[in-house]
Amino acid sequence: MLEVNNIDTFYGKAQALWDVSLRVDEAEIVALIGANGAGKTTLLNTVCGLLPPASGSVEFLGQRIDGLAPHSIVELGISHIPEGRRLFPHMSVSENLEMGAYVHEAWKRKEETLRQVYEMFPILQERQGQLARTLSGGEQQMVAMGRGLMSRPRLCMFDEPSYGLAPLLVAEIFRIIQGLRDHGITILLVEQSVRQSLEIADRAYVLENGRIVLEGDGKSLLKEELIKKAYLGL
Amino acid sequence: MVTFLNVVIAGLLLGGLYALIAMGLSLQYGVARVLNISHGEFIMLGGLTTWTLYTAFDINPLVSLVIVGPTTFILGFIIHRTLFKRLLSSSTSPGIFESSSMLASFGLLFMIQNIASIAWGPEIRGYSYLAVPVHLAGAVFSANRLVTLGFATVIGLAFYLFVARTRLGKAIRAAAQDPATAGLMGVNINNVLALCFGFGAAMAGIAGMLISMCYPVHVVMGLEYTIIAIIVVVLGGLGSIPGSFIGGFVLGIIGSVVTYIDPGLSLVAYYLIFILLLLVRPTGIMGK
Repeated sequence: MLEVNNIDTFYGKAQALWDVSLRVDEAEIVALIGANGAGKTTLLNTVCGLLPPASGSVEFLGQRIDGLAPHSIVELGISHIPEGRRLFPHMSVSENLEMGAYVHEAWKRKEETLRQVYEMFPILQERQGQLARTLSGGEQQMVAMGRGLMSRPRLCMFDEPSYGLAPLLVAEIFRIIQGLRDHGITILLVEQSVRQSLEIADRAYVLENGRIVLEGDGKSLLKEELIKKAYLGL
Repeated sequence: MVTFLNVVIAGLLLGGLYALIAMGLSLQYGVARVLNISHGEFIMLGGLTTWTLYTAFDINPLVSLVIVGPTTFILGFIIHRTLFKRLLSSSTSPGIFESSSMLASFGLLFMIQNIASIAWGPEIRGYSYLAVPVHLAGAVFSANRLVTLGFATVIGLAFYLFVARTRLGKAIRAAAQDPATAGLMGVNINNVLALCFGFGAAMAGIAGMLISMCYPVHVVMGLEYTIIAIIVVVLGGLGSIPGSFIGGFVLGIIGSVVTYIDPGLSLVAYYLIFILLLLVRPTGIMGK
């Protein structure tokens, strides 16, 4: 479904990704793990068009998408739920969700999708008139996830969805992500909760200093010595 | 009491124009991040075009709205697409874009002013339209000034509803709050910024058309209005369109009160308010 082939990405003159390749198949959960500054967010930003790669290619459903503007990439069915939620602070919860359905196809069905999102996160329906900046961290994350689903994506990319949340909420977020896959949405997940992501992931990639150093299925990576030492503290 | 009421009405009449001008700048600065020093030049273009259409072609100034509005919109849109879009893509940070775009708009001011002085010359132009007296609350106002207030209010409210309710309007607000994330939602950010710049220019053009019905117009009239617009935008709160609308009326009433005391002091009072505001409440009335 998504194929990233040998990309190099730069921030100005500084190279952040080196010859990175990655594949996500339909209805898979693929986790991307690595230390801070390893290039996980950069990789997601490259796929969604915020940071075009200097070389290499990105293909989605067989079509080249590197070089397209972010708004065209959303239209093709990729939703990026960015790091730090990035809600529109002075808009209400329902307006934030509506913005998620901005692409034409999704806009036509936004009432229906909105109902589904409210079913998934009932608290958001109660808070629908409230300004996004007045919500708690957990509620903000729910708005960010709901907003990302409003475009009715085929592929969802989550960047640190559990960051800064209480353990109970973290478990909830992971449960929801698994539920999305059961509804046929493909997931690319960047997480710092390495153990939990590997437990739900079909496959995972480990990124170090801008390079992929390890890949494999989630369960077997959990037993890998490098992962145990570096990320699980065992 | 009657005098007080007169001063307030006169303030509202002036405030309507200020509100319209400031909303235009608010779109350009609050959304497109261009502190457009050439804003007043679009007012001048609107005013002088209306004058030419009326005196040379006998076109009713209110009808020239449908000519001046779209023309200034297209001009603003093209300027953003050619000039500011390039500056934006070559700027490494929002701060760099804000300063380089302001300097570029200074350049635009001189270019537009010089081209206009070739077209219209340095003379002060004016015409008489709807200059009939209307009695209101014991005082006399000319009908054209009431029309001005009506137009400014309708345009202001219509635009407010557009931004609050429609899909494109919401995209404009989202782009003002976080352009990159708005792009992730599917908003074509370059288009929205150019549209905002165009809308801002059209509001200036229409304000110029309205101004020409009440006051004389000339090639170097623009800068004073630009400064007033900047003061109102700060007064109302950066990036807040309702703030600019309300701020316009507030400044209009203040201007009217000061003019009643001493006509020479209104600009001084505006600057004084501006400085006090920056010291006491830099976020403005509706500031966030």
